Amino acid sequence: MSIRMRLTSFLPSLLLLLISVDSFATADETNEFRKKAVSLLRRECVSCHGPDKQEASLRLDSQAFLLLGGDNGALLPNSKDASPDSKKSLLLERIEHSDEELLMPPKRRLSAADITTLKNWVETGARWLTEDSPLESSGAIPEPVGNAWSDPKNPIRVLFDGKRLDLWSLKPIMRPAIPSVFDVAWCRNPIDCFVLAQWERDGQVPAPPASDNVLGHRSSMDLTGLPPDFDQIQRLVTDELPDKYERWVEAYLSSPAFGVHWARLWLDVVRYSDSNGFDWDELRPSAWRYRDYTVRSLNRDIPYDRFVEQQLAGDELLNGPPRDLDEQDSLIATGYLRLGPQDNAAGLFNEQDRARSELMSDLTETTAGAMLGLTMSCCRCHDHKTDPLSHADHYRLRAFFAACQYADDVAIDLQADQKAIRSHNQKQDAEIKRVQKSIDAIESAVLARQTVKVEPKKSKELMTSVELEQVAMAESKRESLQKGKRPFTNGLLMHDKMDSVQPVFVLFAGDHRTPKDAVEPGFPSVLFPNTPIAVKPVKSTSTGRRLTLARWIASRENPWAARVIVNRIWQNYFGNGIVATPNDFGVTGALPSHPELLDYLAMELIDSGWSLKHIHRLIVASSTYRQQTIADQATQGGHEFATLRTQLRRKSAEQLRDSILHVSGLLQERAGGPPVWPVLDDATLAANPAVLDDNATKTKGWYPSPPAEQSVRSLYLIQKRTIRIPWMETFDLPENAVSCGKRECSLVAPQSLAMMNGSLSVQAAQRIAETILGEVPSSKNQQIHTAFRQILLRNPNDQEFASCRIFLESRTIVELCLVLFNTNEFAFIE
Amino acid sequence: MSLAKVSPSRENIRSLERRRFLNGLGMGLGLTALQSLESSRLLADSPRKRSHSIDPLNPFAARAPDFAPRAKSVIFLFMVGGPSQVDTFDYKPILQSLHGKPVPEAIRKAVEATRHANVFHGCKTELMASPYQFAQYGQSGTWVSQLFPHMAKHVDDIALVYSMQSDSNNHAPASYQLHTGDVRGGKASLGSWVTYGLGTENTDLPGYVVLFDAGPLGGNANYSNGFLPPAFQPTRLRDRGLPVLDLLPPGAFADGQRQSIDLMQQLNHLHRAEHPGFAELDARIANYELAYRMQSAALNIGDFEDEPKHIHSLYGLDQSEPRTQSFARKCLLARRLVERGVRFVQLYDMPDKDGWDAHAKLTDNHDPRARWTDQSVAGLLSDLKQRGLLDSTLVVWASEFGRTPMMQGELGRQHNAAGFTIWMAGGGVKPGMRIGATDEIGLMATERPVPFRDLHATILTALGLKFEDLSFEVNGRDERITGVAGTAKPLLELLG
Repeated sequence: MSIRMRLTSFLPSLLLLLISVDSFATADETNEFRKKAVSLLRRECVSCHGPDKQEASLRLDSQAFLLLGGDNGALLPNSKDASPDSKKSLLLERIEHSDEELLMPPKRRLSAADITTLKNWVETGARWLTEDSPLESSGAIPEPVGNAWSDPKNPIRVLFDGKRLDLWSLKPIMRPAIPSVFDVAWCRNPIDCFVLAQWERDGQVPAPPASDNVLGHRSSMDLTGLPPDFDQIQRLVTDELPDKYERWVEAYLSSPAFGVHWARLWLDVVRYSDSNGFDWDELRPSAWRYRDYTVRSLNRDIPYDRFVEQQLAGDELLNGPPRDLDEQDSLIATGYLRLGPQDNAAGLFNEQDRARSELMSDLTETTAGAMLGLTMSCCRCHDHKTDPLSHADHYRLRAFFAACQYADDVAIDLQADQKAIRSHNQKQDAEIKRVQKSIDAIESAVLARQTVKVEPKKSKELMTSVELEQVAMAESKRESLQKGKRPFTNGLLMHDKMDSVQPVFVLFAGDHRTPKDAVEPGFPSVLFPNTPIAVKPVKSTSTGRRLTLARWIASRENPWAARVIVNRIWQNYFGNGIVATPNDFGVTGALPSHPELLDYLAMELIDSGWSLKHIHRLIVASSTYRQQTIADQATQGGHEFATLRTQLRRKSAEQLRDSILHVSGLLQERAGGPPVWPVLDDATLAANPAVLDDNATKTKGWYPSPPAEQSVRSLYLIQKRTIRIPWMETFDLPENAVSCGKRECSLVAPQSLAMMNGSLSVQAAQRIAETILGEVPSSKNQQIHTAFRQILLRNPNDQEFASCRIFLESRTIVELCLVLFNTNEFAFIE
Repeated sequence: MSLAKVSPSRENIRSLERRRFLNGLGMGLGLTALQSLESSRLLADSPRKRSHSIDPLNPFAARAPDFAPRAKSVIFLFMVGGPSQVDTFDYKPILQSLHGKPVPEAIRKAVEATRHANVFHGCKTELMASPYQFAQYGQSGTWVSQLFPHMAKHVDDIALVYSMQSDSNNHAPASYQLHTGDVRGGKASLGSWVTYGLGTENTDLPGYVVLFDAGPLGGNANYSNGFLPPAFQPTRLRDRGLPVLDLLPPGAFADGQRQSIDLMQQLNHLHRAEHPGFAELDARIANYELAYRMQSAALNIGDFEDEPKHIHSLYGLDQSEPRTQSFARKCLLARRLVERGVRFVQLYDMPDKDGWDAHAKLTDNHDPRARWTDQSVAGLLSDLKQRGLLDSTLVVWASEFGRTPMMQGELGRQHNAAGFTIWMAGGGVKPGMRIGATDEIGLMATERPVPFRDLHATILTALGLKFEDLSFEVNGRDERITGVAGTAKPLLELLG
């Protein structure tokens, strides 16, 4: 019984295989034969090559280990290789070896019958008890095991003794009934009903609606990351049509700046960076294509299920080069799989296996956290301490990525362009060949007229001046033809390699050097303990594993995906999510403050065809969003309802920097493209000594963009892992080593230094002052008004005006503008 | 149809408590990472966790340790790149006779059977004798090579650990592990953990300071706050020019700065009157005053004019070699910082792109580097001692790994994570203590191997912190610098 329990907990797929032996009579005969071979291995070999001992790093207790081989290489013939050598099997060689030292089992020859069994078995493919993973085979499908609630055999139910199944986020997403409320007039859409119903139950009231001025400013910052300008706000205030706010919101929702602002949220979650990290921290010259893909997709409102599918498996959606821009985006999107830190130097110290294992952990944990709200890092080393996730679940998820290989040499140009490039280059090559022939002909002629034998490379010394001129012309033509060849465009991509699908093992304590049982790809066993049947990829060169994963994640049946993404959006508007721990929907995470509201939004997302803009629209339109920002103690009766209130939020690093550039008129338009490198002083750059040691391929250094091109949206600033831009770091730009679901928001003194003394705010203040002095050179009163309008989007009140007037008696308008940038009003979103 | 009845949410309760807390306290300064500190505090299961005692309005406030501390501050001297143990402290005379001969078979086999088998990768099979003379020093008769004549005079003050091990033979992962406990980036560094646990004694200066010319290999992921709140990120002080980036206003605004701040605060107070009850606004108002005070405190810290001439000479500031001067300035700065209550000073010896990474001819690398640092390190120890600061300051001298006794290239040595030497002094360290040993050629730790988590546990214990309780919840996991597995063993014998 205890063995059985262990098997069910760690090896659900093996259990399936065993079940299938009993269940399918047609396979009996084959299986009898295989069983004989496998039990022979168990009897004769496994005591030294098994779970207890791994002589020569070899295990023979599962198909996966058998395929893996040991220190002396592969055991089985390589069917893909036609050379005679590859027909040999090390396994067969060793059991018959004439050298007693090399004979296996040691010092004891197997019986002739046993040798024949193994020979036949190897020659028919050395299959274990049934077909390989049903994920890639059309073979017999084992009888499924049910989820943890319905089936006592479910491994999670067995492992945790039926406990842990009441986790809220495991429950299917259901469309909740919209609750009835007393103050019906307050409710603009169902969001308000869910929020208000709870407040009414608790005897609480909403805050009064925010003014047009505040709401216009807030929604602009929230939708685009930029403030509106004074005139726009005035137009909103004076607009008398009833749908003025809806039109205002639509304009911002369809602005290209929307994607620039909201892409940042996603890039935090997927730990985007323009470099590898570790010692050399090499630049990833095409990571920006993924960043731009994110911006583009959000602006076009690409359905979220598609967004997930493209990032996890965009390459598996294509057969051959991309035929249109959408297919091209599917390729670029696989950059998601490449964004984690990458230790390129590991191979130098024979640590590539460790680096690969870390890449796999990182992909597994990031995908689980970002798309499912699951904390899979816990079960890298052991069963989860609190959630219904097993040690094996981590590796089942990891196995979806097992065939992943970098694909930086795959061209992303459209099919027609690739054809054109190829044909252009062929023409160039033909022309180069022709020119080369003419050079050769001259050389041959020169050599032919010599009386003594001369080395061909010395022919130039013997040419006439006319010949030299001819050769020089031809050579220069050859060079320019060579230069005229068109390169293919590459991305930061991942794809599958069928011949390098590595077996995946549960790793003891998460260490790649201590593999335990082999696992097949699988979703969290609590819901679906079986190995999923692959959605066949559109091409034969890919396993289809990631596509299988993607389609399950972004499906109606998945209880996490829709809840997780709507919660992220909510959090960005209100400061807190409905679930306060956006990357952890498990037991240690927070409970949803409004579970019905969360499910309502999740269902709205799914039923709208996974439209994210639909969710944005609902939130921004709600009365809940349109409330005033007031601290709780100021509300009636001192009641508490802060979770769903619009809180006072300090602008993010990007919002703050972009606001300063925008209101001062310094902000430069840019529609994506390679990252912009700020000028940093040498002492800052020395934070990673690799910068001092740049290479010929220019990947380790720092390459400042021209000063005139640096005032772009912060999203476009270079993000190196080992050198962070000090200003952005001071305002809490996350590290991008692991998924960041929620930014810390600090208020510390170095921020005051950066705002008072740093060149960004000083230059912006100077720029505004220049404008003001140009417009109203003589009137200090008007100068004060203009400064307020431009920076704080309003006129000063009398008290403010008086203070500023006194200030200007002894100080300059530049200093006044700098003061306004430093006010709390500028730093916070109301 | 409606879903199950809504139970009172934990977040609501948390938020409630937070508001009450803020309302009760009124204004304060340095409102930092309020929500995350707050939520982690309330999420925490165990009432003993450090996050419980952090005042979200003043995260830097000095906090009481768990038990009587042996040290109050740490100066961590990081010799970037991996100085060679067999050429400094771990004297292996047999290398002289084995020069040019392969690693003895028994040792090779022993190493190959461990996770350190890759230490043979990239270097020759032959051993290389140390090019340096060793002699015994002090009452302890400790062997030190001729590289460190000044440090040799302090051998009776320091405790040596000869059996350190790291998990990677590659700079960045090993260096990340020495700083954060994990070979991957993104975790919190020791200095962040310590300031998170203890706050700092002087809020006019940062609690956690890093000093370097060039940073450690792997960049700022080494010394960052990682997942800990940004309040605990380090401040880099430069030992030349302005000590802190953007410390002072542009010249034209300098004389008007106080006026500017006054106007700003007038406007802020008017704004605050219209937005009552937000502690965030008060915190930001207070930060401008703190920043104003920091300007003079930070300028003062880097001004060595008040240090007498003999102190300048003690550290080697009067030497002609610019790199000696530069390292001396950092060591003196470190003393001035701990003297003023700074909790953790992370000081790197990395004057260039290579550090102690002696792949090519060892002597070309180690000779000058020893010359640039030896006197300053010894001077720091003497100075701390004569001021009575050594009792409360833990000094650590360490690197991410050591070097192979095998030769690499022409008379160089490869990285060696299997066994290397570090030392500690001051703050409760038992002077003259010797821990662990490597095999007879100095390749692998064979007696009491010490992983970095044990070093971290030792340092935290010296500071009076229960290392198992110093945790922070990240994505559902209680992260600790000593690892989630709970296998760290502090070197209690070293702490006396």
